[in-house]
Amino acid sequence: MAKAKRPWLKRLLIAFLVLVGIGAAIYFYIALEKQPDTKNEKAAFTVNAIDFIREFENDDKTANKKYADKIIIVKGMVSEIEAVDTTVNIKFIDTTSGAYAIFDFQDQHAAEAKTARVGDFVSIKGSCSGGALSEILGVEFITFKRCTLNK
Amino acid sequence: MKKTILFLVLVVATGSLLAQRKTTTSATVSFDATTSLDALPKATNKTVIGAIDTKTGSVQFEANVKNFAFSNPTMQGHFNGEKWLKSDEFPKFTFKGNITDLSTVDFTKDGSYNTEVEGMLGIKGAEKKMKIPGTVVVKNTTLSVTSNFSIALADFGITGVPVDAGKVSKNPKITVVADFK
Repeated sequence: MAKAKRPWLKRLLIAFLVLVGIGAAIYFYIALEKQPDTKNEKAAFTVNAIDFIREFENDDKTANKKYADKIIIVKGMVSEIEAVDTTVNIKFIDTTSGAYAIFDFQDQHAAEAKTARVGDFVSIKGSCSGGALSEILGVEFITFKRCTLNK
Repeated sequence: MKKTILFLVLVVATGSLLAQRKTTTSATVSFDATTSLDALPKATNKTVIGAIDTKTGSVQFEANVKNFAFSNPTMQGHFNGEKWLKSDEFPKFTFKGNITDLSTVDFTKDGSYNTEVEGMLGIKGAEKKMKIPGTVVVKNTTLSVTSNFSIALADFGITGVPVDAGKVSKNPKITVVADFK
């Protein structure tokens, strides 16, 4: 009898529980979300390493607008390989200026990066974080994260 | 003959000066702002530039803010966004300092030396004077530097609901690892 008198209370309770459920689902979706595997990402640009570095050297403001926060494939000859933790960073260097692009690899692709050797022609796909003039080295540097290597 | 000798002296002197300054382009800086409420705000940048001058004790670092890699894409977006680090406007973290007591480190002798660096840390357009502890390991011609310290986000104008709500630590832990050659 009492239930029939207050049907709105039941509806309010159901609506509240539905909202809590939606909120929890969104929270867990965001909390458990992982960065996608770069190997499966579509690249916005495919570029030659030296041409790419020189675009930043000529005008890094314009180059940052064009490339930063995008997935880019960069092709070129490995100039240097630097050990980092248990993995490596790969660098393409413009030897005429010392400017360089450096690539940090996604965990699942760290083993691929270790197979590269200086002088190898490779193709690296990664998320471009943009470039800037280094106050320390006096050269333009362009950084990438979450990279994957295609030899 | 005199010109040749002078040239050789200059070459040797230049080489000696350059050898005092050691650099890296693959230093690692990690920050951990996790709390009991949120395990997501932590990231690592493995492409940090560093330099150390063994004669003057000068120490410098600079990092591209956008190259801090988060496991969670939403957190990556928040970190670089307008309310947090505004990385489009302030693209680099910088540190410029000096070893406070250079006599505590013998760069010519293999060993592990605890020391302290005092300098200015620049984040989001603000600079804060800091004293940072560190360990320098000298082995052959390589210097390995490690440091663990905390920063106060408020010192750099980083505030907001996630910080106030305890989802982001007000005092993130910073870890630096650098091998200079």
